[in-house]
Amino acid sequence: MKPGCLALALGMALILNPLTVAAAEDGWIYYGGDQGGRHYSANRQINTDNVTDLEVAWMSRSGDVETYAEAMVNTSGQTTPILLPREAGESLVYCTPFNRVIALDPATGKQRWSADPQIDRSGDRSLRCRGISYAEEKSVAVGSACRYRIFSATQDRRLIALDALDGKACKGFGINGEVKLEPSAAYKTGVVSSSAAPVVANGVIVLGSTIVDFVKSKSPRGTVKAFSSLDGKLLWEFDPLLGNKDSGSANVWSQMSVDEENKLIYLPTSAPSPDYYGKARPGNNLYANSIVALDLNSGAVRWYFQHVRHDLWDYDSPAQPILFEWNKDGKRIPALALLTKQSLIFVFNRLTGEPLWEITERPAPPSLIPGEKPSASQPWPIAPPPLIDAFLMPDQAWGIASFEKMACADQISKLHNLGLFTPLSETLTLMYPGSLGGANWGGGALLGNSGKLLVNINNLAFTGKLIRTPESPAGNDTKVDHPGAGKRMQVTMQGTPYTVDIGALQSPFGIPCNPPPWGKLVSVDLINGKIDWEVALGSIHEMGPLKLPFQVNWGTPNLGGGIATAGGLFFIGATMDRQFRAFDTATGEQLWRYQLPVDATATPMTYSYKGRQYVVINSGGHYMFKRGYGDYLYAFALPQ
Amino acid sequence: MNNLTKLLIAIGLLFVAINPAHSLTFTVTNEAGQPLALVMVSRIVLKQPATNLADGGYAPNGVTNTTAAEVTRFSNAQGQVVFKDAGKAYRYRLRAPGYVDIQLTKTDGNVVLRKMTAEQHIASFPSNVWLSKMDFGGDAELKKTFQLNCVFCHQQASPFMRGERTEEQWISIIERMNSYGSRLPDGDHKKVAELLRKEYRHLRENPEQVPTPLAWEGHLSEIEMTEWQIGDSFSQMHDFLIHPDGNIYIGDNLQDRIYALNPENGDYTVFKVPHNTDAKLGGILGNRFTTFPKMDNYLGVHSFAYSKKDGNIFITPSLQQALLEFNPRSREFTVHEMPEGFYPHTIRIDDKDRVWFTLALSSQVAMFDRQKKEFKLYDLPTRGIKEWVTIKALPLIFWMDPENRPTPAPDRDGMGLPMPYGIDVAPDGNIWVARLYANDLAMINPDTDEITMLDFPFGGPRRLRADADGNIWIVAFQDSLLVKYDPKTAQYSKYELPVVNEVPYSLNVDKQKNVVWVNGNQSDTLLAFDIATEKWKVYPLPKQRFFGRDVEIDEQSGAVYVTNSHFPTWQSEGGIPTLLRIMPVEDQQEEVTGTIFEPQLDAQ
Repeated sequence: MKPGCLALALGMALILNPLTVAAAEDGWIYYGGDQGGRHYSANRQINTDNVTDLEVAWMSRSGDVETYAEAMVNTSGQTTPILLPREAGESLVYCTPFNRVIALDPATGKQRWSADPQIDRSGDRSLRCRGISYAEEKSVAVGSACRYRIFSATQDRRLIALDALDGKACKGFGINGEVKLEPSAAYKTGVVSSSAAPVVANGVIVLGSTIVDFVKSKSPRGTVKAFSSLDGKLLWEFDPLLGNKDSGSANVWSQMSVDEENKLIYLPTSAPSPDYYGKARPGNNLYANSIVALDLNSGAVRWYFQHVRHDLWDYDSPAQPILFEWNKDGKRIPALALLTKQSLIFVFNRLTGEPLWEITERPAPPSLIPGEKPSASQPWPIAPPPLIDAFLMPDQAWGIASFEKMACADQISKLHNLGLFTPLSETLTLMYPGSLGGANWGGGALLGNSGKLLVNINNLAFTGKLIRTPESPAGNDTKVDHPGAGKRMQVTMQGTPYTVDIGALQSPFGIPCNPPPWGKLVSVDLINGKIDWEVALGSIHEMGPLKLPFQVNWGTPNLGGGIATAGGLFFIGATMDRQFRAFDTATGEQLWRYQLPVDATATPMTYSYKGRQYVVINSGGHYMFKRGYGDYLYAFALPQ
Repeated sequence: MNNLTKLLIAIGLLFVAINPAHSLTFTVTNEAGQPLALVMVSRIVLKQPATNLADGGYAPNGVTNTTAAEVTRFSNAQGQVVFKDAGKAYRYRLRAPGYVDIQLTKTDGNVVLRKMTAEQHIASFPSNVWLSKMDFGGDAELKKTFQLNCVFCHQQASPFMRGERTEEQWISIIERMNSYGSRLPDGDHKKVAELLRKEYRHLRENPEQVPTPLAWEGHLSEIEMTEWQIGDSFSQMHDFLIHPDGNIYIGDNLQDRIYALNPENGDYTVFKVPHNTDAKLGGILGNRFTTFPKMDNYLGVHSFAYSKKDGNIFITPSLQQALLEFNPRSREFTVHEMPEGFYPHTIRIDDKDRVWFTLALSSQVAMFDRQKKEFKLYDLPTRGIKEWVTIKALPLIFWMDPENRPTPAPDRDGMGLPMPYGIDVAPDGNIWVARLYANDLAMINPDTDEITMLDFPFGGPRRLRADADGNIWIVAFQDSLLVKYDPKTAQYSKYELPVVNEVPYSLNVDKQKNVVWVNGNQSDTLLAFDIATEKWKVYPLPKQRFFGRDVEIDEQSGAVYVTNSHFPTWQSEGGIPTLLRIMPVEDQQEEVTGTIFEPQLDAQ
């Protein structure tokens, strides 16, 4: 099918299908495009025929670089703006890594208002904010302050309600417009923080948390909390580890999805602590590494599925669960797609948890660490296929020069390697995919209700091992969860006998030992359980010691997601080459790109305003990539 | 102590006296309350006895530990099955075709099994029925090539194998398996990858095409299965023997250990096979499994035979040019260095106490004369000058690059070198050998040293055994056949296996009962062929992905033993290698007649 035909078909499907959770034609009111994280827009003004004409409509800077210059090096630009509805002011609103909330004119990028919560920046964690949320509080009279609200969860664990029209605090919410999420200074600043956008539905705000979970055997609880969107009162709490005293966290740091009609909220839970050693937390560690469906109003568990049992690899549930309609063999089922770091995709009936693709039990390798008892099997969907072939043998070693390849082959031959779910041992062990994924927090984009999923994938092999901790261990760097480019990360897991050592598997010249692409874009047919196409995502031309004047599209590590449109396009930044790209959703062909000032490790959004479609991306750089930072928001549109 | 307390104690003591072992009777029904016959009920100890595993996770040399057996019985026509000893801390697993497994730790014995949905039922079928519908695009020869090279380690159509993969992912798997030792021809990689992707997907989308496995039959209520866990998930229990001293000697092919198991009480003593200090891990094939986290195989303990003269056990160490002798009384090993020949494989001892074994890589048969302590090697004929040159060059190849030997890159015509595999001594003293990859048999007359080669008209002669009448029974691996060769008439007879698309690995002959026992690795069954009636009995095994390697028979007790070791072992259900015994039950239950579980694809 030609791209135009596909777009037409999708458009027709949207019109004819009453079950469709349609994206608003004009807007982007939720972080993920809709409450189910489809990253999809029905806008089609920009399409495969004219995308090459895209130009910068406006560029706006938040001012963070000027205001917080000394702190910018510790930030990641990850924000996805939302467009408020007309009655709420029709501003384009976003957050900065310092949790400043800024409202812009969607046509010009000119600032309408901003609010700075003056966060406590004394912690070790890098600063980021992925999004804010909007809700109309219908119990507040029209014309009164704070009928239209913005909710923001800050790094220093405050939930803030702002009036969407002017950015002023909603005084009736919590205390002077904010709720402190932690009862006291129980932890050092930054150990527990927030990065995802709060979920607001049916008058309930649900919040997860970001927690440093690899440093201590018992990290803080990963309790999910729900508050009244009217006054900020606590409604319910849910501990994903069910009070397990042997461990901590299993927090929900990624974006949650909500099925408002069925009053279900879907929690992508993360690993129990510590990430890489589980002797003290025997068993499956429910509900860690799971998708948990809770009753939105009560927090009661409706169903769950654990995609990694007894996690030893930091395979958090990284991505927003994608809610869509499954149309197959005449059956129309409310569905949920779960993306994973281990590059498997699970699809469920989102009301019951029944898998829509059979889930098999794949035997998993045992551990050599005394007392460590990994799960004897791990769940594995019979389809779609894994997005990464998680085995790497010496013959598959890659290198630009033959000696580099030989050096990589030698390294690989000495690794412990039984494929996916090989537990770390005291000998260097292959971790493939590494803790970066596979999929990560950028999630995926669904082409309407076609069942066609586009997802950007990291394809980097890591290695890791457990080292007996010396009596006087060095201090830990808790700014990042993954090793930075070219570096190994050593973390003493306090309360365990081990220090974990993790790094990328790379040649003496720092080139990955697994064959490229090292980042890729994959189109998955969820309904038929197959991969339609995949292409390299990103150019490495800026990653070496010398920048090349031409692009080398071998794919790069990537963070942030992409969006699909009815125009047959998929827009994505995410890569380590400062590029913002548009792909043909039907073929994977790259149709357009634009070079930004710094990497765009964020998910874009699109909207139509006064008859013109805009595509907006945050260009802010990523702390972990160490490739520069910025405070840019770019909007692209067709020439007027 | 008041009177009531005394009375209760007295009643308790009386109860114990009457019931020295707590008995538990299961009554299994379906959801309609109808009794279910032939339900497989497994009694599994909740906690294995404490063990000394101080030697890298294994028992130190000479130390005796105990493993608690798992006992499986089948319900009778009334849906009842009795476990006499149910007093310890056990859990029970109930399994029947078309019904959802139940695990119980507390039970009064009344159990209702719930039917699977049609989808669950089909998904639960073992590999062989799925594999039977893979026709490899109509290329029957390619399917056999695939089975020859890919089924000797893994169940191919198990749920996680038939999952969706891209062609690139399949090719990656095939290349990895060839680096481990498979010989799928290079020219077939892409085609096989395409077909696996296409045909597995087709079956997933059309599951109604998958045939229902053979129904379980009434003879199951006559037997009891006992299964012992041995080693750990990194072990591979290969061949074994039943020794007159009452122990079962089992070799761990990956960890260079021998387990002497007393089936009476589960006690087992581990003997670590010694190796030279300059020996290399992996021996002559050291480059095969370098990425495996736990390997301790300097020798590769493979096959066992004992001398009727003194009970000493001879063992083939596949990865060395040597023969091992173990004295079970003194617990001492003797290494007999062998001047030439590669990959000592299957071993037998004749009535003159001569030790015979195949040399699988160098296409030879070796005879060890215990008196002279000398080896005599028989070169089996080559099929051409290229093969002759290759075999003669093996010592040079192994000498030139001992660290990183090339892996074979066979084409479909060549199939690599022939592999002398199974071996047995016929009643007349002749030695019979099956050559895998060459599809022929060799007969050696030990008195004249004459070698007679016979074409084997089927694919994949792997193991062979002689029966009491001198007939040679051979499994045709990729052809899924049991084959008899009658030396008197020089005629072959072929027997279709009773389960579809099973790939028979090993066999043995119960010479008392004239029954040939055949184990495959795709259907989770053990097969018994009555020579006189030419009828089969099928025994479903309690573990999924059960991969039988060797079958031995205790003709006195009627017990049949089989080792279970998928490769890697952790891919079997339970993840630990086991030794399984099938015995007639002492407290014979009422036999169930006929077939109980009919195809029920319309369930729910």
